[in-house]
Amino acid sequence: MMLAIRNIYKKLPDGRPLLKGISFDVQKGEFIGILGESGVGKTVLLRCINGLTQPDHGEIIMNGDGHPQKINGKKGKELRTIRRKIAMIFQGSILVKRLTVLENVLTGGLGRISTARSLFYGFTEEEVHHALAALSQVGIQNLAYRRAETLSGGEMQRVAIARAIFQKPLLLLADEPVSNLDPKNTEVVLDFLKPLTEHMAIIGVFHAPKLVGKYCTRVIGIRNGLIVYDGEPDLSDAILNLIYGAGRPSPVALTN
Amino acid sequence: MKRYFKYLLPAGVFFLLLWGGMVVCRADPLGLLKGIPRGIELIGHMVPPAWGKIPDLLRPALETVQVAFVGTCLGAFLSFIIGLIAARNMHSVPILRDVARSLLSAERALPDLIVMLFFVAIVGLGAFPGVMALMASSIGMLGKLFADAIEEIDPKPIEALEAIGATKIQVIQYGVLPQVLPAMVAHTLYRFEVNIRMSILLGVVGAGGIGFNLVTSIRLMRYQEAMAIILIILILVTFSEKISDLLRKIMIGKEVLR
Repeated sequence: MMLAIRNIYKKLPDGRPLLKGISFDVQKGEFIGILGESGVGKTVLLRCINGLTQPDHGEIIMNGDGHPQKINGKKGKELRTIRRKIAMIFQGSILVKRLTVLENVLTGGLGRISTARSLFYGFTEEEVHHALAALSQVGIQNLAYRRAETLSGGEMQRVAIARAIFQKPLLLLADEPVSNLDPKNTEVVLDFLKPLTEHMAIIGVFHAPKLVGKYCTRVIGIRNGLIVYDGEPDLSDAILNLIYGAGRPSPVALTN
Repeated sequence: MKRYFKYLLPAGVFFLLLWGGMVVCRADPLGLLKGIPRGIELIGHMVPPAWGKIPDLLRPALETVQVAFVGTCLGAFLSFIIGLIAARNMHSVPILRDVARSLLSAERALPDLIVMLFFVAIVGLGAFPGVMALMASSIGMLGKLFADAIEEIDPKPIEALEAIGATKIQVIQYGVLPQVLPAMVAHTLYRFEVNIRMSILLGVVGAGGIGFNLVTSIRLMRYQEAMAIILIILILVTFSEKISDLLRKIMIGKEVLR
């Protein structure tokens, strides 16, 4: 058991309950796709896992190396130590636009080096070498010295993946990583994501059941704050209705 | 015609205030005209400029530039740090933020000459209090401008870096700094231009440099020397503006090219 999510409760700012007791385990090598209507709390759940948001109740425990560590409630140095093992990709990739592609990938390693070193020395040649290797793993080594803002959406997302690779995490969280990409780029990005499961577990939030069916090893569907489906990625219409509501299939499900 | 009536009242008030102001200031346009011959006479005393003195004036001129340069650099560096403290999005200790912003406001309220005299009282006359005064006045301005620039950065790359487990300083170095650097450089270059002029003025009250030479030569009624100094000042100011423009263009050029 690599990540244990136990009974996560989270309220909206106005007091209404959003997540009402989410529990599941994650093993190394899994590629979990989380589906659900917009606003059901998928992103909130993801953000609870790496501490960007705190759940109101419940526990999240990570066990990468035999030492289980609780994630929620941690702050400061303890939280940073845990976060180093968790990489995150966001929709729209979120790179530092004015830095080069290579520099953006290198930031993935900031968790490993001390503040003093990053301030006064920077990264070693060997680390740069590894960063370039990560870039070639996603096929864009030739863009290494371009400024991040000059790249297309799909290319930026691949840089984000390279950054995650360079970080060498145990877990990768992907929050709608392909929602704003065209179909071709979507496929390219997911093709690069899938093989990463050799080294880490991936939890991704998606809006397209067909994509999830093609790439994920497991699907978790959330509706009304609870898990309504947790199993094979082969989704029948009945299961989709369960996740998105009978008679009101998600428009995205239609187009796929 | 009718629609101009609504401007009649405000315009009337404005001109009334203007006339009243001129009375209070004892504006004397006639006196100005009468003084023209004296002005021409004064300029007559100042030409030809004392060309021979110029080599001796180069060293004080350099000192003026150095005072402005060092004052601006120190001011910019400290302003970045204070800007980080004063910015709303950098940390969650509201008291520190408010104190920082208030201190910056207070500094801006103080006339630079007063700040200069304060430092002269502490460390004596010379270039050093001049540097300190310019540093302080730069911080007052740049601190606010930098804090505003920091508040406007895109928060998402910052969050991404925090999610990776970077420390606060690493987040600032890799996430904040790249975003605010162009604005900070532009503000600093502009401040340098201002500080050159201030450095000359402060020289008049004892900060050394060419301002001191100017006031001395006027008091000793060496008007041709004064003229030479004024010419040097003109060159200094123009030069600093041109360099500032050039550096700014290089920075923007780099943006577009990369």
